[in-house]
Amino acid sequence: MADYDVGYTRWSSTVGDVQRLAEGAGDKVQLDVHRYARDTCVVLAVLGELDLAGAPRLRQSVVSETAAGIRHLVLDLTAVDFIDSTGLGVVVGALRRLRAHDAELSLVCPEQRIRRVFEMCDLDRVFTLHGTVDDAVSEIGAR
Amino acid sequence: MSGAPRPVGCVELTVPPLPEYLQVVRAIVGAAAALDDRLRAGRVADVRLVVSEAATNAIRAQAAIREAAPILVSCDLMGDRIVVEVVDHGPGFDPSVLPDLPEAETPERLRHESGLGVSLMHQLADSAVLESGPGGTVVKLTFVVGDA
Repeated sequence: MADYDVGYTRWSSTVGDVQRLAEGAGDKVQLDVHRYARDTCVVLAVLGELDLAGAPRLRQSVVSETAAGIRHLVLDLTAVDFIDSTGLGVVVGALRRLRAHDAELSLVCPEQRIRRVFEMCDLDRVFTLHGTVDDAVSEIGAR
Repeated sequence: MSGAPRPVGCVELTVPPLPEYLQVVRAIVGAAAALDDRLRAGRVADVRLVVSEAATNAIRAQAAIREAAPILVSCDLMGDRIVVEVVDHGPGFDPSVLPDLPEAETPERLRHESGLGVSLMHQLADSAVLESGPGGTVVKLTFVVGDA
């Protein structure tokens, strides 16, 4: 949801969200995970709101990739509109799961509103938050 | 003091204790809080985050005992402050014995995928009061509204 300084615009935006929800458009869980390969990495691009409702979808995607034996996973959070501590927990769990399989995880998180949640939970000390997928893939390639 | 009148009123929600309703709770409580344009833009995002944390805990608490009663969520615009309250019918817990998480850089930290919600409430709200007992939990989150 956009969050603007002008009260009317801000209200209009949130009303639009409520109307969209009330109309029940689309999937009940507002989270999508798109997969694609990039160099030696698999990228999971996460779109939507990463909370208790969306967490199982991302968790399952990570489990599937780990089971397939990938070496490098990039989680792209650029299109994540909202994340809470449950969403952070999935990301932490992904790192633990990948490390247990001698694989690596990189995060792409350019949006300050999402980075801030990582920072408040000290998880910016656990993860390097890259600005772009290119940056994340370049860093992996440089190792 | 600003001469513009402040919106006063309360939005109350009766919400099924299911994860798919979290987005509805965030949208409506965020929209209600945004009615007071003295609340700084970033603080609306904070309201959305803390109500999501409180409602998530409520849903988890009730799921633990298979309690299907609705969760009560309110957002009260009181002029000088906004009070968000989340009431569940879970088994309750002792807020004073919440676990300390290991340091972020330690491998042990990765074993903890939860336990951050209450910490975020205390960080982001001007006041976060949790009252819990065998009949459930009440979380009261207060945001002070400053003059523009």
